[in-house]
Amino acid sequence: MGKRNTVVISSSDDEDYEPSSRLKRSYEKAKSRSSVTRTNPSRAKKPRLPSFRLSKESSDVDEVRLAFEDFNEVFNGFKVSAGSRRSNAKELWVDKHKPRSMEELAVHKKKVEEVKSWFEERLRTPKYLQGDIGSSVLIITGQAGVGKSATVHAVASQIGTQLCEWNAPTPTIWQEHVHNSSAGISGINYTSKLDEFENFVERVRKYGLISSSFNGNSKSSIILVIDDLPVTNGRAAFERLKTCLVLLVRSTRVPTAILITDYGNADSSDPNARWLEELQLSLESAGASKVLFNPITNNSIKKTLSRICRQEQCNVAAEEIDLIAKASGGDIRHAITSLQLFCLKPDVELDLSSSNSTPSYPKENANELTAFNGGFSSQYGRDETLTLFHALGKFLHNKRDKENVVALDQNAFCVREKFSRLPFKMDSPEKILCQAHGQSRPITDFLHENVLDFLCDEAMDDAWAVASYLGDADLLLASFRGMLTRHSETENVLQSAAASVAVRGVLYGNFHPSPSRWHAIRKPNLWQIERSLSHNQNEMLRQRFMAGSGSSSLSEVSVIATEYIPVLKWLGYRTSSGLETHDSEDDSSQTMSMIDEQESKISDDDIEDW
Amino acid sequence: MAPVLQSSQPWVEKYRPKQVKDVAHQDEVVRVLTNTLETANCPHMLFYGPPGTGKTTTALAIAHQLFGPELYKSRVLELNASDDRGINVVRTKIKDFAAVAVGSGQRQGGYPCPPFKIIILDEADSMTEDAQNALRRTMETYSKVTRFFFICNYISRIIEPLASRCAKFRFKPLSEEIMSSRILHICDQEGLNLDSEALSTLSSISQGDLRRAITYLQGAARLFGSSICSKDLISVSGVIPQEVVDALYAACKSGNFDLANKEVNTVIAEGYPVSQMLSQLFDVVVEADDIPDEQKARICKCLAEADKRLVDGADEYLQLLDVASNSMRALCNMPQEFSFES
Amino acid sequence: MLWVDKYRPKTLDQAMVHQDIALNLKKLVAEQDCPHLLFYGPSGSGKKTLIMALLRQIFGPSAEKVKVENRNWKIDAGNRTIDLELTTLSSTNHVELSPSDVGFQDRYIVQEIIKEMAKNRPIDTKGKKGYKVLVLNEVDKLSREAQHSLRRTMEKYSASCRLILCCNSSSKVTEAIRSRCLNIRINAPSEEQIIKVLEFIGKKEGLQLPSGFAARIAEKSNRSLRRAILSFETCRVQQYPFTSKQAIPPMDWEEYISEIATDIMKEQSPKRLFQVRGKVYELLVNCIPPEIVLKRLLHELLKKLDAELKHEVCHWAAYYEHRMRLGQKAIFHIEAFVAKFMSIYKAFLIATFG
Repeated sequence: MGKRNTVVISSSDDEDYEPSSRLKRSYEKAKSRSSVTRTNPSRAKKPRLPSFRLSKESSDVDEVRLAFEDFNEVFNGFKVSAGSRRSNAKELWVDKHKPRSMEELAVHKKKVEEVKSWFEERLRTPKYLQGDIGSSVLIITGQAGVGKSATVHAVASQIGTQLCEWNAPTPTIWQEHVHNSSAGISGINYTSKLDEFENFVERVRKYGLISSSFNGNSKSSIILVIDDLPVTNGRAAFERLKTCLVLLVRSTRVPTAILITDYGNADSSDPNARWLEELQLSLESAGASKVLFNPITNNSIKKTLSRICRQEQCNVAAEEIDLIAKASGGDIRHAITSLQLFCLKPDVELDLSSSNSTPSYPKENANELTAFNGGFSSQYGRDETLTLFHALGKFLHNKRDKENVVALDQNAFCVREKFSRLPFKMDSPEKILCQAHGQSRPITDFLHENVLDFLCDEAMDDAWAVASYLGDADLLLASFRGMLTRHSETENVLQSAAASVAVRGVLYGNFHPSPSRWHAIRKPNLWQIERSLSHNQNEMLRQRFMAGSGSSSLSEVSVIATEYIPVLKWLGYRTSSGLETHDSEDDSSQTMSMIDEQESKISDDDIEDW
Repeated sequence: MAPVLQSSQPWVEKYRPKQVKDVAHQDEVVRVLTNTLETANCPHMLFYGPPGTGKTTTALAIAHQLFGPELYKSRVLELNASDDRGINVVRTKIKDFAAVAVGSGQRQGGYPCPPFKIIILDEADSMTEDAQNALRRTMETYSKVTRFFFICNYISRIIEPLASRCAKFRFKPLSEEIMSSRILHICDQEGLNLDSEALSTLSSISQGDLRRAITYLQGAARLFGSSICSKDLISVSGVIPQEVVDALYAACKSGNFDLANKEVNTVIAEGYPVSQMLSQLFDVVVEADDIPDEQKARICKCLAEADKRLVDGADEYLQLLDVASNSMRALCNMPQEFSFES
Repeated sequence: MLWVDKYRPKTLDQAMVHQDIALNLKKLVAEQDCPHLLFYGPSGSGKKTLIMALLRQIFGPSAEKVKVENRNWKIDAGNRTIDLELTTLSSTNHVELSPSDVGFQDRYIVQEIIKEMAKNRPIDTKGKKGYKVLVLNEVDKLSREAQHSLRRTMEKYSASCRLILCCNSSSKVTEAIRSRCLNIRINAPSEEQIIKVLEFIGKKEGLQLPSGFAARIAEKSNRSLRRAILSFETCRVQQYPFTSKQAIPPMDWEEYISEIATDIMKEQSPKRLFQVRGKVYELLVNCIPPEIVLKRLLHELLKKLDAELKHEVCHWAAYYEHRMRLGQKAIFHIEAFVAKFMSIYKAFLIATFG
């Protein structure tokens, strides 16, 4: 295992820094990489400067040490010790077995080739011609753990270029910074991560920092990799990030890969997910090329896993590997981690070879494997997430078998025909809820908003049954509101009971579903209503003196709403602020409809592919 | 004391018996407790019974008689439901008080002063079960130096382990004569003029609750001056005049929904409390001779439901209307369930 | 200024309705002591007016010099602090507030304000009362805990402050509080009384009232004096000189609800139910309290039904209103009521007309 060293450059230092000529810049294939913070614990105590690393391989440790001394001179009081890393048995296999060459990549060959040729083209073309072949930014997207960074690394080493990475710096919390500066540990000014990133991108754009400072000594060229985008919270911050990236795409000459993790079917209500999508679109329109990495196929994962098993000399049965691969859902990192976890278990082999020998696993053990084959394994599985919309779709469409296939056993409790329902054509509602991570309140609200669309036009009784069950759910949700903070368990029971009642109530009540038509799922209007209600209420409370105009006592909201306001309207006394209320209401309803459109767009897709 | 306080002091406090033997109508309790006074020893006690029958009075009186005014403060802890009585209070306040040792029993100034302290827990049935359980340990641990007096309306709400550690006394509702004599005594003292009709009204509307009777009396005296008639008492007590109740009942009997609706509207507009209306309606229904038991049962069932809903804060008009409509259906033998199955 | 405020009696002597109560109140405060008071009665019966007049009786004209404040409280509740904001109305001698506005944290407000008032108790100089008055509105909407702590504070600080409680229904006030207050029932004024007041206002404004006109307004007002005066003024704006046939404009929300009722009667289907939901939302957004929506809806529906159905419908209204109180989101329960009604009515139609 080769020693590895890391050059750390503060992105906020001055441009005129000249690197030491002693640094030997022959780039060899990276044997393994892992982040500095992980391998060198002492580093963690240092003020964590946002940094980009130049990962490189040097056989001459001393030289590098010297280089670091140089650094030390430049960065007053900022020490980085280059730790030579022990090869550790405890090391994560994910790092240990990182693909070192393109051959080892589990990613589909075509994709790898695509990335490689893209880079080669950029690097082959002389600088002044680059404008003709399009932007020099490549966006690589894909789920987590499909080998985006690994591919870039492998490709880079294959074609012999250096990689310059910008990783989202470990966040420094403000308190920590204050602590450090007050203790005199560092004189560094606090800058937000976004600022850092902007500065960095700015420099790369203008001066091509890396090429100017490092390229001089080496024939190899440089690829810039932006792995994690800085976390943005809030719209404004995101806009900044976007403009800054778009600028980068438009102007940079350094071949750059931006890796964006696609959260796939994560909760679409999460603004971050939406923003990332938006970001991709705008970058593409600015001219960036895009490569989408699909989840890794089962076979590839299996191959990789067996290779690792061979190397680690673990004896893992083929079907186990198969299982892990299946459960990983195309996430190779997860698969390797699972494998490591699996091999850690001391009794694993016992467990598998003789199912009844271990006392801790009684009889069911024999069934365990078959249970795994069901595809849902709690042990290795990535959580099988369903989106909220999938779940709602299932509930609302109310798919049932055509006839009752379950043979009634003699002791079975018989219900009158009016009350009996056909069996579900889905998992039990609770399980679906659990997979969709549904909170009971929003679920109930969503069901309430949408269920009427799915009822047959004639079925008034059904509508009543559904409405009544939803009312029950509401009661459950409301009971002991706020009083049970100490008894969170009780609260949980109530919550899940309420969700069950709502869902099953909808499923049961909808006896005559409307002939399956296509419906968009709307966001509950109720939420908007509630917001404007509380807004209006406050407004009224504030105005009650004006409304009463000279009355010297407080009136109740209900009285104002039901008596004063209508009369004042009649009398044409409408106060200016009264109009305001209405304006803002309109405003919010506009934004609302905007959200609505987005929501329904998303949900349409969902339902279609479901 | 400042004059404001003087005159606004509730009569309930002013005329509270100071001695155990003055407690009206509870002969058995008085006999046992007088013994206690003589021997200066007593077990834990649990007083239960309807409100206004002298439970608190008895407990306070015996504490006073045992310790006298000087030691009272240091030896007696009074906690009632309006004090915070969660489990933490039991753990800290009660325990701290219970844990303090007391001097040996020496008679001081004519009071027995037994060597223990008394903790009076008024309205103990509103304590949480957790708190009651916590008390159990405290009682055992400090039983040498502490006596507990529990006072409650419903013994069923005291957990069994606590109840079994106490001597239980049931307080009977006061009879009408005793009430009248007490009330007349107060009228004498306050210089009030109460005619006999008013007196009987007062005993009937207070339903054996002496405290309530005295409170009504004081309220009426404040509003209407020294000469009080039965109408004044009714208006102060919040009891609904019988005519109103009868009118509603008659409307139900008539079987005319709109008439009943109108009556209900009147009741609401007049501002009569509906919970009171329900209980008076209940009396009317139960005492009526001309309706069969089954109908009574049906009506009572809907009264009970409506009462519960009112406690939950439901709208008075709707509940009363529901009661009226249900009673009407019961009284006129309309079908209870509405269906078109035929 | 609206007529409601313009002609509000300022003193107990000016009261045009409830003269007997006004007289008793005067007697009550003429003596040196004033117990805690609980006023209860339906909306628009004149509770507030009486309370204001009573305050004036006690403290003189200074009670009318009030200032409105948005006050903030920081309350230390064990391990956290709670920030509460509430509008108060105060003069030198009294403070008025509606603690239920802050929702379930109302009990902190009750405790805190009384404590505060007890602290800066006015110094008793010649002839001035040595206590402050705290007017609490909507005590029936206070949570159970708040009522409990109210009771305790009432006892603790009874020397330094008097409470005047005001509510619509006394059955929602705990027995403990009721028994510590002097209960004063304010009934809604009768139609004759309302007519008298309207005629009085008409005279003051120099208006010609056709015979029977005031009576019609009074009848429509549902025995609420405030409502009567407000619609009287609307009529004045709408058309003057009055004609005896003149329509009395209903409140817009009432009209809206009657539209909803018509919708419901016309068609019973999930689709219609959905439309109704939208209309109910509209009402709720405009702060019409859900129980009033439900009550009014029932009223409108009852007008159009056979006796047989009336029983059933009013039962369900009571049922769902109760659940609405217990629940969190009123719309669920209003909708359930409407759905139930539709289902009953549809069955009725099928049974009747086949």
